[in-house]
Amino acid sequence: MFKEEQNVVGSPLLHKSCLFLLLFAFWMALAGRTETKFIVYGLLTSAVTVWITYPLMLVPNKAGDKRYYVLGISVFKLLNYSVWLLWQLILANIDVLLATTGQVMAIDPKVVRFYFKAENPMASIVLADSITLTPGTVTINVTDDGLFEIHALTPGAASGVLDGSMQKKVAWLFDEPLQFAVAEEEVPA
Amino acid sequence: MSITLDMLRQGIAALFLLGGLVFFVGSAIGMLRLPDFYTRVHASGNSETLGCMLSFIGLIIYEGLTLTSLKMVFVFLIVFLANPIGSHILGKAAYKSGHPVWTLASKDAPKVLSGQPQGSSANEPMGSLPAKEGN
Repeated sequence: MFKEEQNVVGSPLLHKSCLFLLLFAFWMALAGRTETKFIVYGLLTSAVTVWITYPLMLVPNKAGDKRYYVLGISVFKLLNYSVWLLWQLILANIDVLLATTGQVMAIDPKVVRFYFKAENPMASIVLADSITLTPGTVTINVTDDGLFEIHALTPGAASGVLDGSMQKKVAWLFDEPLQFAVAEEEVPA
Repeated sequence: MSITLDMLRQGIAALFLLGGLVFFVGSAIGMLRLPDFYTRVHASGNSETLGCMLSFIGLIIYEGLTLTSLKMVFVFLIVFLANPIGSHILGKAAYKSGHPVWTLASKDAPKVLSGQPQGSSANEPMGSLPAKEGN
């Protein structure tokens, strides 16, 4: 038990308490009843779930000397990021809708590449997931060196990925310095 | 006949559902019109984000502030978190197995026959899959 909680960034007790409260709130929302039986069941279930899943929710960094808690993100920053992402989604959605339903399809599919490195592995995951969630861009590969390969549908989507605004936002979300570089275009055969 | 608050709420809900429908239909049109596998993955992204979001907002407005709408929010969040993972896995599998990427430059190139080796296809404008170590 002691060994499991070594090198964790942040306080494991705080992580576990927050996870427990979140799970218990989820239980109560799904149960929708406040009899003692349901509350006791909820408390027990949440406690067991936290005990089993907390070690699984620690991801090591590349060097292997630190472990990050998967949900260890500031709530304020996460809300800020979600609102910003939603606005980007709306813009990208309209862009893709117009490009694919117009008289002439305004598409220029290609693979764009950039480097993004972060100490926290969750930063890469959140970035790849956000890019895929945005219509017009799908992450098709992420290498261990931090090379992201993105399939972009429209010219606007491609330039949106390469201008670094999302990378900057994700680095800010995880309190990391921005390590971002556009990989040079591969010469077509 | 007077307009009650209930009717107003149902009207707003219907507007949101219709807005969602626009994106679902756009997604279906894109799925039919777009040329290759990778671009069709993008078309599905249209329905999974704004289409889903507007539909769920419409349903929540129709339902009102009840426990059921809270559960709809949970379903929506799960769709939001899980769908890009599916898209990514599909795209990655195709990319790893050497599926050619359609571009404007390859538009008029002859179609690849299924038995043809990938290396010799004229329909592969990105050069080749970059040979990468690991992963």
